[in-house]
Amino acid sequence: MKIVIERAALLKSLGHVQSVVERRNTIPILSNVRIDAAKGNMSLHATDMDIEIAESTAADVGKGGATTTPVLTLYEIVRKLPDGAQVELTTSSDGGQIALAAGRSKFTLACLPVEDFPAMSGGDLSHSFKLGAADLRGLIDRTKFAISTEETRYYLNGIYVHATKSDGVNVLRAVATDGHRLARVEVPLPDGAAGMPGVIVPRKTVGELRKLIDETDADIEISLSDAKIRFGFDNVVLTSKLIDGTFPDYERVIPSGNDKTLEINRKDLANAVDRVSAISSEKSRSIKMACEKGMITLSASSPEAGSATEEVEASYAAGQLEIGFNSRYLLDILQQVEGDAARFSMSDAASPTIIRDVADGSAVYVLMPMRV
Amino acid sequence: MPIRLLPPNLVNQIAAGEVVERPASAVKELTENAVDAGATRIDITLNDGGKSLIVVVDNGSGMTPRDLEVAVERHATSKLPSDDLLDIGFLGFRGEALPAIGSISRLTVTSRTADADSAWYMMVAGGQKQGPVPAPHPRGTRVEVRDIFYATPARLKFLKTATTELSYVIDVVERLAMAHPEIAFTVTVDGKSRLNLPAAHTQGDLFDIHLERLTAILGKEFGANAVPVAAEREGLKLYGYIGLPTLNRGNAMAQYLFVNGRPVRDRMLQGAVRAAYQDVLASNRYPYVVLFLEVPRTEVDVNVHPAKAEVRFRDAGLVRGLLIGAIRHTLAESGHRASSSIATATLGAFQPGTVQQNRPFMTRPAQAFGAARTLESTMAENGLGESPSLFLTQPSAPDTTAESISGETFPLGVARAQVHETYIVAQTGDGIVIVDQHAAHERLLYERMKQSLGNGGIKRQLLLIPEVVEMDEGSAGRVLARAAELSELGLVIESFGTGAVAVREVPALLGEGDVAGLLRDLADELAEWDEAMSLKERLADVCGTMACHSAVRAGRRLNPTEMNALLRQMEVTPNSGQCNHGRPTYVELKLSDIERLFGRR
Repeated sequence: MKIVIERAALLKSLGHVQSVVERRNTIPILSNVRIDAAKGNMSLHATDMDIEIAESTAADVGKGGATTTPVLTLYEIVRKLPDGAQVELTTSSDGGQIALAAGRSKFTLACLPVEDFPAMSGGDLSHSFKLGAADLRGLIDRTKFAISTEETRYYLNGIYVHATKSDGVNVLRAVATDGHRLARVEVPLPDGAAGMPGVIVPRKTVGELRKLIDETDADIEISLSDAKIRFGFDNVVLTSKLIDGTFPDYERVIPSGNDKTLEINRKDLANAVDRVSAISSEKSRSIKMACEKGMITLSASSPEAGSATEEVEASYAAGQLEIGFNSRYLLDILQQVEGDAARFSMSDAASPTIIRDVADGSAVYVLMPMRV
Repeated sequence: MPIRLLPPNLVNQIAAGEVVERPASAVKELTENAVDAGATRIDITLNDGGKSLIVVVDNGSGMTPRDLEVAVERHATSKLPSDDLLDIGFLGFRGEALPAIGSISRLTVTSRTADADSAWYMMVAGGQKQGPVPAPHPRGTRVEVRDIFYATPARLKFLKTATTELSYVIDVVERLAMAHPEIAFTVTVDGKSRLNLPAAHTQGDLFDIHLERLTAILGKEFGANAVPVAAEREGLKLYGYIGLPTLNRGNAMAQYLFVNGRPVRDRMLQGAVRAAYQDVLASNRYPYVVLFLEVPRTEVDVNVHPAKAEVRFRDAGLVRGLLIGAIRHTLAESGHRASSSIATATLGAFQPGTVQQNRPFMTRPAQAFGAARTLESTMAENGLGESPSLFLTQPSAPDTTAESISGETFPLGVARAQVHETYIVAQTGDGIVIVDQHAAHERLLYERMKQSLGNGGIKRQLLLIPEVVEMDEGSAGRVLARAAELSELGLVIESFGTGAVAVREVPALLGEGDVAGLLRDLADELAEWDEAMSLKERLADVCGTMACHSAVRAGRRLNPTEMNALLRQMEVTPNSGQCNHGRPTYVELKLSDIERLFGRR
């Protein structure tokens, strides 16, 4: 194998694939990237056995072939090469080493046989549809914060994506919850997604995917079965296993009869919550919200630090209500609201509160209060 | 084959299997009989760990020939005068011991009452009676058990070595001796005296005589580091001694619990002790405790275990509450005391005094003194009432300096210097105190945090999706039975059908934790100790970590005002003598100890 490629192109591709590789591995080959070269094209594969990222890029291929080599070392070398350098990769005749040359720098890296590199078979992906990158980013960004990190409830360690009907309209919906709060975001159902199985996309996959699609405007091609999901755009393909579990019946916990409605400026509230919670010394940073006609009063106190209150104007007409929240959770949600105003629908101090973006009905957040 | 009644001898052998497990059980039964007979002196002789010979001699009330004859019959006893199993005033009552022992060994009993003109002798071997015949013996009873288990060779085979069996016997006698300090006990093994406990002086209050006996059994270290416990609630009386948390060990062997004078190994009581010490000891360390519980006879059922090692209380919650409350209260009262064994260990570290060991110590005073020098001016500024010159010219006259700064009024004295930016050296009325600043401050913050948790209540996060934890039915029942107690700690649970528990609210402090794991731990603990500790432990862990992070670190320079403030806070904070894991926060050296180091005494 012999390839010549511009440093920037190689760096970009390596940057995409390397992040999936675990820093410590018990199986040596999982630290490696698989490099395939054929007909003016070079493709890179990296995997942690659960997620695989593949990216192909144009290269001057002198001689086709394939090998694997430690990706982190390769990435570090390429990162440190000067801008505009031409990188030449050549495997030794026995395939045991790969030589990298750029300008006057020369490196030799150990290789492992390509046959040992775990291939992630796509299998039969039953459903396939296209989703705009911006839509996908919206689904991820507004639900990611609520993903559970508690390993014992593994089925909550991801975003649940499924096709359903919302007010008679077919939608693609993403839901995440950690048992304390829940985020539900939807987009119009893309063609081809009807009848897809509900899938739970693992947290790590969500993170990797989000990094990959950060800058693209392309449509993302999504294919999935009930065990795997694949995202493809430009020259990148990410394939991931799905969490094998049943996502709880989340609809049940979203109350429908919350009659106390509060509308409030999102920014004012977030800033006030942030300020008042500074007094709360404990880990949970609890905060109290007293709602009365036309305004709310936020308060927090701690025996050591003292107490704080702040009033925020709001449109509220229902009866008086005092409710406690974990201020972190509240801020997390308010950060997702993009419009100027947030609408709270509450029932009482012990029932779930619904928070919505007034300007955008596609997202619903549910927050369980705290007893303070 | 027709069903028939078993011959009495076989019945006795079967009963012996329950009552007499090993030589120690025989010793226990016989010694308890002697205690019940009102003896003031009990002499026990053993050969070969009790395997070949056990002799128990007492000077108690003795038995008449008629009594003797009946005593070796099954279910014959003088200890249930009212025929009421709910009214048990003696250690024994089942009337099984003598016949059971007699059925498996060669048993002889010689006894004489106070007003009889001679003693009578009775022999039982393998269940066959002989006697009674007159014999010489002073007042009291002598029971001789030879070749125990000779009639049940299977049991004999499973006996351990003589040394091991002996250690069981000693344990049994020690436990009885703790409960009865007014009785003298001796144990002679293979002709050599093994245990000799003279009767404690009966004058003085109850505590003193117990402490004397306990010190004799558990050692001087316990005597010096035990604090008396006394509490009473609704007819229940608790007294005894508990060790300071800094005196601890790796197993629960040093926990002696007695109910109405009867040594017990009761799960519930052990759990209560563990819970009471939970806050001041790491979970794998165990305290020394000797506790006597007096319960009205009708409130406790001792007839639940053949060897009477377990008891059952009518109101277990009350007993547990009394025990935990009394121990915690006592520990809090003893406040900042750390065990003197630490000072002893410190002295030990100094004393061997080979030149090499001493050298680093010798080179330091200059450095420490230098630190003190930089501090003394600040001390004067802060109005410690001491001129710098006094401090510099009279460092070797502690008595006068101590007076001038009234060190006596402060148990932990006045800070003199900080060494290595880690330890505070303070001068007290009669010695010096070395404080680990980080450990001490951490404990103070921890206590304060706990207090505010207690005052403000534990904040609870309601769960959007209640977590349903499946466990076996027994565990679920046990956890649910304590639901009220758990909800005070922030964990709200309810039944979710058979063998399942739904968690509705969790303590906000714990964040998003493994609720199912926590619940299972709780269930296990309730099964083992009858005490739910994991939840408190986890909360304490969070508080502990937070306290650790916000406490002053080793290496931070403190000025005298800060050091003194720390000492004053330690004096008024309960449990400040040890860190969260039972390690001491300070060491005290008496002046006399220091003088001894220099050979002045």
